[in-house]
Amino acid sequence: MSPRLLFIAVLCCGLFVSCGKKSGEKDPMNETAVVALSGDADTFNPIVSGSATSGDIQGNIYPMMFDVSFDPRDGSLQYDPGLVVRWESANDGLDMILHLRTDVRWEDGILITPEDIKFSFSLYGDPEVASPRRNYVESMIFTDGKFDPNRSIEIIDDSTMVFHFAKRYPLQLFHLNLHPIPKHIYRNADRKTLRANPANEHPVGAGPFKLDEWVHQQQIDLVRNPTCTLPYPAKLDRVIFRIISEPTTRLTELKKGTVDVMSPVYPDDVKDIQENNPNIRLETLPPRSYEYIGWMNIDIEEYHNSGKKNIKPHPLFGDARVRQALTYAINRKGIMEHELGTYGELAVTDFSPIFRWAIKHDLIPYPHDQEKSRQLLRSAGWSDTNGDGILDKGGRDFEFTLYYNIGNKRREYVATVVQKELKDVGIKVNLQSVEPTVLFQNIEEKRYDAFIGGFRVKLAIDPSDRWGDVSNPFNTVGFQNRRIGELLKLGLHVPNERDAGPFWKEVQSIIHQEQPCTFLYWNKDIVGVNRRLKNTNINVLGVSDDMWDWQIGDPNSYMTY
Amino acid sequence: MTRYIFRRVMSAIPLLFGLLTFTFFIIRLAPGDPVSLYVQGDVDPAFAQNLRNSLGLNDPLPVQYVKWVKSMLLGEMGVSFSRNAAVTKILADTIPNTLLLTVFALLFNFLIGIALGITTALKRGTCTDHLVNITSLFVYSMPEFWLGLMLILGISLQLDLLPASGMHSPLAKYLSTPRYLWDVFQHMILPVFVLGVASAAATGRYMRGSLLEVINQDYVRTARAKGLSEFLVIGKHALRNALIPIITLLGLSLPFLLGGAVIVETVFAWPGMGKLTVDAIFARDYPLIIGCTLVSGVMVILGNLLADILYAIVDPRIRYE
Repeated sequence: MSPRLLFIAVLCCGLFVSCGKKSGEKDPMNETAVVALSGDADTFNPIVSGSATSGDIQGNIYPMMFDVSFDPRDGSLQYDPGLVVRWESANDGLDMILHLRTDVRWEDGILITPEDIKFSFSLYGDPEVASPRRNYVESMIFTDGKFDPNRSIEIIDDSTMVFHFAKRYPLQLFHLNLHPIPKHIYRNADRKTLRANPANEHPVGAGPFKLDEWVHQQQIDLVRNPTCTLPYPAKLDRVIFRIISEPTTRLTELKKGTVDVMSPVYPDDVKDIQENNPNIRLETLPPRSYEYIGWMNIDIEEYHNSGKKNIKPHPLFGDARVRQALTYAINRKGIMEHELGTYGELAVTDFSPIFRWAIKHDLIPYPHDQEKSRQLLRSAGWSDTNGDGILDKGGRDFEFTLYYNIGNKRREYVATVVQKELKDVGIKVNLQSVEPTVLFQNIEEKRYDAFIGGFRVKLAIDPSDRWGDVSNPFNTVGFQNRRIGELLKLGLHVPNERDAGPFWKEVQSIIHQEQPCTFLYWNKDIVGVNRRLKNTNINVLGVSDDMWDWQIGDPNSYMTY
Repeated sequence: MTRYIFRRVMSAIPLLFGLLTFTFFIIRLAPGDPVSLYVQGDVDPAFAQNLRNSLGLNDPLPVQYVKWVKSMLLGEMGVSFSRNAAVTKILADTIPNTLLLTVFALLFNFLIGIALGITTALKRGTCTDHLVNITSLFVYSMPEFWLGLMLILGISLQLDLLPASGMHSPLAKYLSTPRYLWDVFQHMILPVFVLGVASAAATGRYMRGSLLEVINQDYVRTARAKGLSEFLVIGKHALRNALIPIITLLGLSLPFLLGGAVIVETVFAWPGMGKLTVDAIFARDYPLIIGCTLVSGVMVILGNLLADILYAIVDPRIRYE
């Protein structure tokens, strides 16, 4: 066949194919929503899944113990019946009695029983399984240092079970709200290799959707689970999650209408979307993650070599006055406005503004005041004795290296501004960008004097990870404060979450005063949604919360595909 | 020839084993922790330690090596840390995606490159020659990332002629076979073009230089003197010799077939080997890095072998016995 004939044949074939659609044919896209994600799920087994994508999607596949919502007015979680219809606290807060529904079935028709729940919790608590949520069972009963599911979980009958706790604390319901998995499928699974169990590829759940197909790194297809009664069957036939890692491509798909939901939209793109894409509405998620500059509070060498409990202060950042001076010296508001515009909120402490009831509202953010910074540094003994423009004390110049992850444009900008502004107060900062895995490892191991980091908070307040024991990997700056230790004990042992309010407010005051790190800003992620998609409830619980309620609004707004 | 091929294949086995052993140690000696990426504010603080135990990363390095050698001898490549699936399954899923992209890009590269090279060599010094040369240089110096994004914004978003990303439409599995193939074809056009066009410009330059050298040879003049048509002189006599350096290029391009192209794959959301390898390296996913290295190693060895065999076919003077 000559090239010309071949070309004509291909062209004719294309025309034939593209014209082949019958006029009366129902377009399946009218019952399908497409969500663009930056990364794939790691697994669909909720016991071991760690990625945000898995978390978002499996909430729609697996049954929920409670139907949880977040009340933005006061910033607390609300628990409504899910698999658990009724619950009561007993034995002075040490027992939680759960009354379960007896009519809920897994996708394969088998009834969900208390045995499934007990089995699932035994997996969550087993260190061999290495669940990211193992700490949810930490306050239950342990035997010989190991979580004991038999002593912690008592099955009374088909509809009643009791969870026994070692202490009374306000997060009991939060920690009980884990997804169960079907025991009949995983009964004989090897615990050490649970994360690679082939059954994870075909999850059997009981939620509003079920997994139809998972083409790794391409797309995840969920279809309506008609048998779901938890909370309701989905209204849409299908939701497809497409994996598109490149942000510009993802945004193009949203603008073209081939994607209905995309997150995050970058603040720089907002104006263009608002002006040129009336078919897209933008929604903002309440802030759950913040960026900070970590100043190592303790002497790194002593921490790594001595094994002591109380480590001597860091030679540069060990003095609270120095840390306050650093915060004063940096124009945090300027950085935030440059990077996030109106999609950021200045961070005062690490307590997210979403927890309205627990926030100490009278704390005033440190202003940008370089004179005050110089004053504090002088009072801490730092002055330029040799006239080289750099502060010194006891023969040591105030010079350090600030580490941040390579390729993160926002942090590159922060680092440059910090370098410039600290130079203005006489501090020499060397910048060093590092590959993310190396950076995160060294931050967790407390190997850096100073670094730029980020943190995502849980939906229930528990500052013990961040400010508890100095050896905790999330206490990345080695902050040690006796009073905070006492307040953590008090706040985490009250019967009701609200009772901890005064303790958490005092923690914030101390953090604000001590400045263990310089808190920069809270990020408010922006989500782009095609207007044809109705009933979305994009909130702090995630983009796909209440996904069962999504509907396609305008049947004429066909997507081009 | 058969004996030669057999000998080459046999000698490749220790070479590959050495390569993988080297990779095994070098990735473990590199700084960075495979589990650190999963440790975020809302997970169990002891998670990293438990996961390291579970993945065997707390074993001493010699123990890890012995375990790895044992599993390799059994034909098992382990389980990916980041994707929680067998490495062999991940490779089996990814290789066809990559081949679909790279085979067509390679075809595009060589067909267009050779055609351009012949045209410019035969029209040496004319406007066509200059125009093609300048365009080739321009295209060759364009970053793939930029070109890809410009095509997405121009052809896909503004003109709405082709899809922007992915291997097929979200609901392609419900299409009839011809429509499915047409759908995949449409999705392939932009990435194949971006991947192939810069290499085609380079191949064209090689081809032009090689053909110009050959058409000045005595035997070409003799062919012309015998009264052969220009088509036969070029097509039968000159081209065969001029193609030898291009065959070297083809052999060297073979690893690219399975190595993938990380930039194009990222821009067009095409799940291929390039992105898989880079993601594995950044995630310190040791088993997956070894799997990807094995695939690339095999392709380099096969590519070289194939180039040597093709030499013998094109140039009868070369014998391997």
